[in-house]
Amino acid sequence: MGPLIPNGILTNEWNIIIAVLIGLAFGFILEASGFSSSRKLAGVFYGYDFAVLKVFFTAAVVSVIGLYYMDYLGWIDMGMLYVHPTYLWAAIIGGAIMGVGFVAGGFCPGTSLCAVAIGKLDAWVYVFGIMLGVFIFSEAYSVLEGLYNGSFLGNITLVDSFDIPANYIIFGVTIIALVAFFVSDIVRKRIKKVFY
Amino acid sequence: MDKSSENNRHVYWNPYFGGFLLGLLIIFTFYMTGRGLGASGAMKSSVVTLVDKVSHEHTINNAYYSKFVKDDESPMNTWLVFESLGVLAGAFISGSLSGRIGFRVQHSPKITSRRRLVFALFGGILFGLGAQIARGCTSGAALSGMAVLSTGGFITMLAIFGTAYLFAYFFRKNWI
Amino acid sequence: MINRNLAKILAKRYIILASLLLIAALGLVLLPAYQKNEHVTAEDLLAKVVNPERYVTSDDLAHKIIAKDPSILLIDLRDEEEYAEYTLAGALNIPFDAILNADYEAYLNQGQYDVVLFSNDDFKADQAWLILTRLDYKNLHVLKGGINGWYNTILNPPEPTENMAKEAFERYDFRKAAAMYFGVGIKAQDNEQQLNRTPKKVVVPVMKKKKRKPEGGC
Repeated sequence: MGPLIPNGILTNEWNIIIAVLIGLAFGFILEASGFSSSRKLAGVFYGYDFAVLKVFFTAAVVSVIGLYYMDYLGWIDMGMLYVHPTYLWAAIIGGAIMGVGFVAGGFCPGTSLCAVAIGKLDAWVYVFGIMLGVFIFSEAYSVLEGLYNGSFLGNITLVDSFDIPANYIIFGVTIIALVAFFVSDIVRKRIKKVFY
Repeated sequence: MDKSSENNRHVYWNPYFGGFLLGLLIIFTFYMTGRGLGASGAMKSSVVTLVDKVSHEHTINNAYYSKFVKDDESPMNTWLVFESLGVLAGAFISGSLSGRIGFRVQHSPKITSRRRLVFALFGGILFGLGAQIARGCTSGAALSGMAVLSTGGFITMLAIFGTAYLFAYFFRKNWI
Repeated sequence: MINRNLAKILAKRYIILASLLLIAALGLVLLPAYQKNEHVTAEDLLAKVVNPERYVTSDDLAHKIIAKDPSILLIDLRDEEEYAEYTLAGALNIPFDAILNADYEAYLNQGQYDVVLFSNDDFKADQAWLILTRLDYKNLHVLKGGINGWYNTILNPPEPTENMAKEAFERYDFRKAAAMYFGVGIKAQDNEQQLNRTPKKVVVPVMKKKKRKPEGGC
């Protein structure tokens, strides 16, 4: 069974069609959830709008629970899925740089594409900035290569890192997410409303 | 623009509903292709293509570009580029259904749009740089990584949001 | 008038949704663990079991060895002592108990060679074949009759009687020639057995995954 394309159940030509369809749905969901608005996105850092946290955590929890149920039922082979590789320091430093970029620019790449589609000029500039950033990285690759390729831990999951069964980790993540939702609602009630 | 769509502009989906659909979409994506969503990959492909157009020799000699340049096909011919085209179309459909289309610069009333654009460019550069170092952005590394419990995905997610909270204070004037 | 009960339920909708999510996550924890049927389905396995191609006759094998067919890899499943005593030319010793040892996986789980498993008879080899096929290893074969069958057909073939078909004579001739090739005269195999043991080291390149791994990254 799944994943269908790597297992050769669907031919490779479908890959492109599915890519466009998935992108279509992805863009629609992001835009309809309000992710094309940088002020709504930035709200999560100032406590006036927690849409990012809610959408992000709900999506993560739903997908991880769903995938593991499908794995249990034998519909999908978890071993075949692409696991984002862990380069410890690259992830931390790259993430930190992205964090500053996020709060300064108010977008992340996916949401900026949505905002580009509906004509936000700040998003056009932002996307141009991302491309400039990629360009700078590529030109400085010889300097950054050590960081980029260093501290490689493999395509590991939390199951390997903590040596706890996946089910317990998922349960823990779910509880963390629910607590975060609850706390975010309390915080939002206390913070002055910002209209945007 | 009539009144109803004017009111519609700030009516978004319930975030839990959006998140639930996004979760289903991630499951579907993994079920179909065995990989997650992504966004910054398309921009990387565009940069590689542009640089390749300007100077092919340079892309061959640069250790990073040369990973993505193949002789027989364009670097644009990747899954993520097609997915990103879909994102643009999907967002446009959603935006036009609720009347959010229009060229404008969105910024807090306390700052000028010029300042907003400068910060957008600055933030974009940082995000582009960081996304390359961490091999993925919020969608590719954090969201899709978390769906398969990837350690790297969780670390990236924590690093992004942790630093963003730390630095939020310095950028507060831009937003509130 | 709006249904009051409905309004009551709606007011608690987030709590209900949160509990649903929690139950779903708890369900994963509480689901009974089960041994997942990995790699091969029952139908596939059955189809492979009944496929006659899984057996190699000793004549075919002798042909291939004489022709120095580079695509075969002989695996001797008997223990080390028996292997040291006598084995087929170029065979590699992987004792039956060690076939799942990670050290040997590169030899057994690969797509470049036709692996021929053999032991004294074909019973042990069949068992090994089943275990490895269950793991979805490819290109596995069993030497029909094992070493005993090899001895009885190739090294010490029964002489055909006069009323047998022409093919039987041809086969006998081939077997005699093969026995000579393997260094064992039909009568003198006892003292020359030591000669044909060629513990040639078989080098198998690291196997590649057959299925396309999905690439990812943002």
